[in-house]
Amino acid sequence: MVEPDLAFVDEAVARIGREREAVLPLLQAIQDHYRYVPQEAIARVCELTAIAAADIVGVATFYDQFRHRPVGRHIIRVCHGTACHVKGADVVQAAFERHLRIADGDDTDPEGEFTVQKVACLGCCTLAPVVQIGDRTYGHLSPSSVGDVLKDFLQQQKAGTKEQRRPETAVAEASHGEIRVGLGSCCIAQGSGQVYRAIEATLAESGASATLKRVGCVGMCHQTPMVQLRSAGKSEEKIFAKVNAESAGEIVLDYFRPRGLWKQLRYKASRWLDRLLTDEWHDTMVRHSLEVRDGPVCEFLGPQQHLATEYGGQLDPLDLEEYLRHDGFRALQRCLASMRPEQIIEEIHHSGLRGRGGAGYPTGLKWAKVRAASGGKKYVVCNGDEGDPGAFMDRMLLESFPYRIIEGMAIAARAVGAEEGFFYIRAEYPLAVERVNEALRKAREHGFLGERILGTEFGFELTIKQGAGAFVCGEETALLASIEGRRGMPRLRPPYPAEQGLWGRPTAVNNVETYTLVPWIVTHGAEAFRRTGRPDNAGTKVFALAGKVRRGGLIEVPMGVTLRQIVEQIGGGVADAPCRGMGTSGGPRRLKAIQIGGPSGGCIPAGLVDIPVDYDCLAEAGAIMGSGGLVVLDDRDCMVDIARYFLQFTQNQSCGKCTLCRIGTRRMLEMLERICGGHGEKKDLDDLEKLARTVQAGSICGLGRTAPNPVLSTLRHFREEYEAHIAGHCPAGKCKALISYRVTAECIGCTLCAQHCPVDAITATPYIVHRIDRAKCTRCDTCRQVCPRGAIVVESTGTVA
Amino acid sequence: MPKLTIDNREVEVPEGATVLVAARKLGIDIPALCYRDGCDVSTSCLACVVQIGEERRMVPSCATIAMDGMRVESETPLVHDARRSALELLLSDHLGDCLAPCQSGCPAGMDIPAMLRQIAAGQWRQVIRTVKREIAMPAVFGRICPAPCEKVCHRGGVDRAVSICLLKRFVADRDLRATPSYAPTCHPASGRRVAILGGGPCGLSAAYYLAQFGHRCVVFEADVIAGGRLLRDTTEEQLPRKILAAEVESIARLGVELRMGIAINSRKEFERLPKEYDAVLVATGAGGINQASDWGLPVGSRGLQIVGRTYQTCLPRVFAAGNAIRGHGLAIRSAADGKEVAAVIDQFLRDMPVAGGPEPFSTRMGRLQECEAATFASGTSIADRREPSDLLMGYAAEEAVEQAERCLGCDCRGLQNCLLRRYAIQYNASPRRYKAERRVYARDTSHREVIYEPGKCIACGLCIQIASAAGEPIGMTFVGRGFEVRVAVPLSGSMAEALTKAAADCVAACPTAALAWKVRGDDAGR
Repeated sequence: MVEPDLAFVDEAVARIGREREAVLPLLQAIQDHYRYVPQEAIARVCELTAIAAADIVGVATFYDQFRHRPVGRHIIRVCHGTACHVKGADVVQAAFERHLRIADGDDTDPEGEFTVQKVACLGCCTLAPVVQIGDRTYGHLSPSSVGDVLKDFLQQQKAGTKEQRRPETAVAEASHGEIRVGLGSCCIAQGSGQVYRAIEATLAESGASATLKRVGCVGMCHQTPMVQLRSAGKSEEKIFAKVNAESAGEIVLDYFRPRGLWKQLRYKASRWLDRLLTDEWHDTMVRHSLEVRDGPVCEFLGPQQHLATEYGGQLDPLDLEEYLRHDGFRALQRCLASMRPEQIIEEIHHSGLRGRGGAGYPTGLKWAKVRAASGGKKYVVCNGDEGDPGAFMDRMLLESFPYRIIEGMAIAARAVGAEEGFFYIRAEYPLAVERVNEALRKAREHGFLGERILGTEFGFELTIKQGAGAFVCGEETALLASIEGRRGMPRLRPPYPAEQGLWGRPTAVNNVETYTLVPWIVTHGAEAFRRTGRPDNAGTKVFALAGKVRRGGLIEVPMGVTLRQIVEQIGGGVADAPCRGMGTSGGPRRLKAIQIGGPSGGCIPAGLVDIPVDYDCLAEAGAIMGSGGLVVLDDRDCMVDIARYFLQFTQNQSCGKCTLCRIGTRRMLEMLERICGGHGEKKDLDDLEKLARTVQAGSICGLGRTAPNPVLSTLRHFREEYEAHIAGHCPAGKCKALISYRVTAECIGCTLCAQHCPVDAITATPYIVHRIDRAKCTRCDTCRQVCPRGAIVVESTGTVA
Repeated sequence: MPKLTIDNREVEVPEGATVLVAARKLGIDIPALCYRDGCDVSTSCLACVVQIGEERRMVPSCATIAMDGMRVESETPLVHDARRSALELLLSDHLGDCLAPCQSGCPAGMDIPAMLRQIAAGQWRQVIRTVKREIAMPAVFGRICPAPCEKVCHRGGVDRAVSICLLKRFVADRDLRATPSYAPTCHPASGRRVAILGGGPCGLSAAYYLAQFGHRCVVFEADVIAGGRLLRDTTEEQLPRKILAAEVESIARLGVELRMGIAINSRKEFERLPKEYDAVLVATGAGGINQASDWGLPVGSRGLQIVGRTYQTCLPRVFAAGNAIRGHGLAIRSAADGKEVAAVIDQFLRDMPVAGGPEPFSTRMGRLQECEAATFASGTSIADRREPSDLLMGYAAEEAVEQAERCLGCDCRGLQNCLLRRYAIQYNASPRRYKAERRVYARDTSHREVIYEPGKCIACGLCIQIASAAGEPIGMTFVGRGFEVRVAVPLSGSMAEALTKAAADCVAACPTAALAWKVRGDDAGR
């Protein structure tokens, strides 16, 4: 290998710093530059700084983001979040590896073109299964679409089109109305960027007078890309869903007439010609229009109540003026002008706000402890290391409401007596980092951050620290270690960060959503917040609704709504099985369980859907509120597989410090793998349960103590499924070792399955019923998905294959 | 000064002291593997957990600050369960053999690595003691043992197993020729008498060890020559009778009375024995099972029935061992039974609880992969396995030394100091509790004095702290995360670079033998 040129390292050290805290940013810069972290670069950093090699190596090998050998030119990140998992992420990954001829145990193709990486969650759960190649995101994949995706990516690369991340708001003079395009990460992944640019182009070309505006997440992820139109002076709006770049112009033109008759005619004529030539004809208006007042949108919005996501889908996330017009920073002003810090804390305490990160500790109490703690300097920290697979609330809030979070943190700082704060945002959320950065800049410019805020004595400075791919850093003591530039290892609490946090100083660590709610509470009053929700469970909770549900998305509901309301009313019930081949429906499916709280949570069976959603009721049912991931599972989902899936996740994310978590979760996983693989024994269930309880009772931190929850909750509610596996059956037909594929008499001999089979387990026999060679079959499910007749069935074999 | 109670005993400790410190003040032995005075707590091993009040949660005592009025439970079944689980999890990921596989494979459990090292060092006086501590008649078994030890010898994965059996014969023959030959020291006479029925491998072996315990033994043998199946199942060529006679003689010299040609035939005669003797051992071999059944001893599927591992029959004072209980087994197994039943009878005669010897505790690596065997062999003697040049006489001394040096030294260097082993035994933690995939064996021998075996590391990080505090320029670090986390030298460095001054402190702090001195302590004391 060629010795890397280390001049960049010298430059990076000069730019970023030489202190211990600089280790992570330095490594990130090195990784960006070299596409991996060469040992020589680490050695050079040691030479240039006082940081010991042991410390840098310890950090560099702790975080997933850092790679220690060269990677391919493009990285394919295959999301293995919960929603992607239940929709077949593993077969998609296998398809990529097969397609690229990646050898077993390797991750890069022989040409060094692509590296396939498994990632915990890309936070685009409603598009599952999802992959990210370079900076493009592809959703709704199947093993058979892998080839097309790669082709498309390479074509785009050649064409040099780069996904534009930040289209600027185009303001038209004498606007006749407003066009809003949701531009959250998942919207962009679905093509909202192209839609935005298409509208921009149409407006410019046609001269239609409307203001085009980028807005944050609308929440209706199942309908993206989404365009909202509003005429000036009217309150009613029109929503267009699943818009594509081609139809976007049509919609806009139909709503906002271009100025000048000649221009109109000329434009229409040219478009008409285009259509003739390209044979494209979209009945856009009929297909895409959604009525807000009734129908699915109304149901979707029905029980929702937007506090944290107030003005969601209406505001340009980075338009400070607009934020101010909507009472932005009014709460901070009130706190500075007319409230003593103790009063702020009292107000928050009285509101009943509990930490939205999952554990539900009363926020007011936490702040009071920080305030009361002795020792001069104090900090506030925003925990934006949302790592739960199946959760993307914090990403959406950070992307859509950066000013509101900054305001919340400033109020917290004022309340606890801190002058410095940190955002800790995971590396997988580049758009969030970008927007918060920009928002910080603008807030600073306008005097909402820095010294003497709003002309008072109060000063507050905020900085972003980026994570580097370690789920455990969502645990507050690990997060603080990470900010300090160390391995993200949690430590035993007490002492809590409120007493000894960042660099040993009292620190208020709160979740993104918690801070987002603070300005609302100050503005509307604690009483108003208290009235929302239930006693001891005040306010609302944001959930990421995904999985086998018709309408997935980002929702905010008052505490106490039932799971049934969420799944049936908001989500529209369990989705049918995906369409197979040309247009045949996969048939109706039945709700089996709701996974709530991600890897720390549990599965609530269909029989308990009428329990109200709040901290206490969920805990009673064996789940937890968690950060808000809510994945709907149907009868095709295997609960043992779900438990195995989550345990694999936590096991992989364990920091490795304490025995119970480091080895205990591994042994639990091995037991579950034996059970899923058909090698389980009766006594494994008791052993598994006993070990799970031991890990739960004795682990050092929250990750380890909650890691057994998915196992314990499924053992509690679905023990018969475990027993079936031990008897050699997977009732849901999911566990590969226990199922086989068979072609039924429905087969018309179209040979599609044979053409798509990646391992030649099916011989093409035109017009004759096909057969699957079970010895060759890898159970990748491709044949079943491409069969136009639904003639391929999954059977539980009853014996270990 | 906070005052707290641990297991209902009150203790007062300075402000800020931990529960562990408080417990130690009370003399309570809490297993703390990753804790060391003067180092930061790492709360890693979790073997030191305790329960506070009624809380279900277990907390590590090493990091829990003692508070006034705290009620701590350290010795409840629940706490012990939690500690045992932590230890069993650590053991499930512990790559190494406490006892070398040859020793585990030897029915008599002879400390073969020690024997081989003593031969290699020419420590003749010590080596016969090492051998005869476990095998009463090594010259006999040096000739007729099928050597299960050699079948599991790790050297077998490299080229051919060490010639353990021939080397044992060498040690024994050398001693028989010496004057005076080795005689174990015996306890003062206890005044207790034991009747041993059967002068085969089991009975003779039992007599040898019972005599050392100070008990007077009478061996009843129907044949006129002692040896039992050692005589019946071997030819003169395989086992020269004068060798057998010499080793029987060495047993008799300890004061064992051999009554040859005396058969106990009737039930009446048998029933008299427990009245005349303090204990009776039935070691009449497979051929004596039917007769013993007539005497009223219940017979199972293989032989006479005994209670657990205690060799006790249902009749008071009557014990049974060897092929009388096994039906068929190797002669060396019967000899091992003889040694074990001697220990049990000794417990019985001294009115101690009769428990039988515990199964010797050992983690096991199992068979080595080819690459692992190569790792193991690197730096050891490259000599081939060779038979003695004079087959009749056995190895000459220099041949024996050369062959003994072929040993890879698979036994653990840390047997005496390993906290994991000590507490695993104390808490009855099983290394085989969890089925687990095992890692690949690796080691770093680059350092002049210290060897590092990462498979034995429990990731406590003490060496990292100590090296850093000592100002080691390179030192050690954690590499990786989670289950894959390892303690290693940064930037692919070696131990030779990592520990230039802190080696001794790191070895002393290591709770297992992951970091250990290359040169072992004296084997004689083991």
